[in-house]
Amino acid sequence: MKVNPAQLTLPLAALFVAFFVAPLCVLAVLSLATEQGSGVLTIANYTKFFGDRYHLSILSDTLWLGVKATLVCLVFGFPIAWLCARAHARWQSVLIFLVVLPILTSVVVRTFSWIVILGRQGVLNQVLLGLGIVDEPVKLLFTETGVIMVLAQVQMPLMVLPVLTVLSRIDPNLGDASRALGAGEWRTLWRITLPLAMPGIVAGCILTFAACITAFVTQTLIGGARLIYMPLHIYQQAVGANNWPFAAAISVIFMIAVLLVVAMLNGFGRRFERYA
Amino acid sequence: MTTRMHLTRRELLQAFAALGGASLLPGRVLAQSGTLVAATFPGTWNEAQRTVLKPAFEKATGASVTQSIILGTDQVSRLVAAKGKVPPFDVAIFDSPQVLDAVQQGLIAEYPVAKSAHFKDLLPPFQDKWGPKISMQVIGIAYNPKKIKTPPKQWSDLWDPKYKGRVGLTALNSQLGIAFLAELNRVRGGTDENFDPAFKALRELLPSVGAIAANLGAYATLWQQEQIDIAPYNFNFVQTLKGKGVPVEFVVPESGAAGWDTSLHIVANTANAELAFKYIDLSIDPAVQAAMMKPPYDVIPTNGKVKLDGAITQTLARTPADLGKIRGFDWAKLNPQRGALIERFNREIRT
Repeated sequence: MKVNPAQLTLPLAALFVAFFVAPLCVLAVLSLATEQGSGVLTIANYTKFFGDRYHLSILSDTLWLGVKATLVCLVFGFPIAWLCARAHARWQSVLIFLVVLPILTSVVVRTFSWIVILGRQGVLNQVLLGLGIVDEPVKLLFTETGVIMVLAQVQMPLMVLPVLTVLSRIDPNLGDASRALGAGEWRTLWRITLPLAMPGIVAGCILTFAACITAFVTQTLIGGARLIYMPLHIYQQAVGANNWPFAAAISVIFMIAVLLVVAMLNGFGRRFERYA
Repeated sequence: MTTRMHLTRRELLQAFAALGGASLLPGRVLAQSGTLVAATFPGTWNEAQRTVLKPAFEKATGASVTQSIILGTDQVSRLVAAKGKVPPFDVAIFDSPQVLDAVQQGLIAEYPVAKSAHFKDLLPPFQDKWGPKISMQVIGIAYNPKKIKTPPKQWSDLWDPKYKGRVGLTALNSQLGIAFLAELNRVRGGTDENFDPAFKALRELLPSVGAIAANLGAYATLWQQEQIDIAPYNFNFVQTLKGKGVPVEFVVPESGAAGWDTSLHIVANTANAELAFKYIDLSIDPAVQAAMMKPPYDVIPTNGKVKLDGAITQTLARTPADLGKIRGFDWAKLNPQRGALIERFNREIRT
């Protein structure tokens, strides 16, 4: 019997339609319902969102949080990946294990341990106070800085792994050639390594960004109730205010906003495809 | 092995199909022979009912009880979702505001008062035909005695500049949050129709606030980590934290104690109404209530025959009559505003 390869994707496609596309359609339809459930379809939930700066600022804060946390991940993650790619095989596996370690524990456990670290009586403040660097405990818990720090640590593997993959695939001869032609280490990094690593960097950024902005547990436990990001906002509308249609509308808006950012990053990454 | 079980593939398949079929049967159908499912709150309530009420019930009836830990508002939405079907639990546990919702939506059955051995012994404010009040939860000021040497006296102490950065609050999705806001509103001269005074006071308090927890679990962590030193809290939660060695004390402000009742209810259309009744009636039995009043639970009794003792007499009430003086809230007026209050609170506190 001859099987069309396309048919092999049918089971997965069916699963996708049943458990992803269908609920998404339900969500989209629900977002057009009224709070009272009168059965009339309306765009009132969307106009309510876009007509109120409170909701818009939550959306922009969330996207900014993602940008900042992703940049921190990139700044710290790239050198780690570079080191991993260059290390001897034995050290490489140790380093990769250390990088992956955070994803092996539950996000709730990781986040609670960060509360112990960042708190007023936490490890970090004890050290800072003990060394005489500060006189008063620094406020980290329930600040955006704290949230970014924790997100960067929690999501770091998502940045390091894709970057590491592309870095280890770069032909080492290219670096040697660059140096032989008189370029210094920095110039080689800037003109050779970075452009070649760009697909991995873009992939890492997309993964980290998406994970950071949707990290409900980390955002609420480290950020508290005063820093409202989209996931908590959706939760509050659905469970707290029992307004499911509005929560659905916010979810749809959030999803589209994220898709736009991802599309932008993808477009940026495509400019480097000619090197591949 | 000399004797092997010979199973053909067909027999094996049939056996598996039977197993699979059995697992598809709703758990509740299998569990109905002498098993009661009782909802309970997380934390103090779950622990106290598991260690005191559950063994007493199993000894008295020979039936077993499974506890299901669910918040009051979630119980209401689950019962609404299960309307016309087998309810997911037989006994509901509610705080005062949910009782109104549940009665309105026909989710609970009337309590068979005449059959009850202990209902008549309940103090008058705790006798409710929809289900006996089994305790009270009282809010007041909690503080860290290691950091604050002179105990606070009144709500306005929270606004004292010396506590700047050390005041804690909890979001309005909890009963504690909404009760604090309502009490604050009353103290500041507001009415149930006008919450402006409360929100004005809240705005003045915000510069002092070190942390607002998104939920009660995170709130307890704030105390354990000594992130906050003074905050509105609930008498029983403070007792539980104290029992765990956390430095925290509770005071009733001079404006008086305020609180709400906690009650048990027979869920409408349950097949286990008789067992549910026995479970609830035991929870108002003086012996059970006296045992639950012991630390670390310190559950406030509602049966007049229980002699008040322990932390309750030191902070809340010397006599049962004092319990009746604890001020309540008008939930019939507050309930419809809940969504709007949460929204307004979130806007006010946002940094």
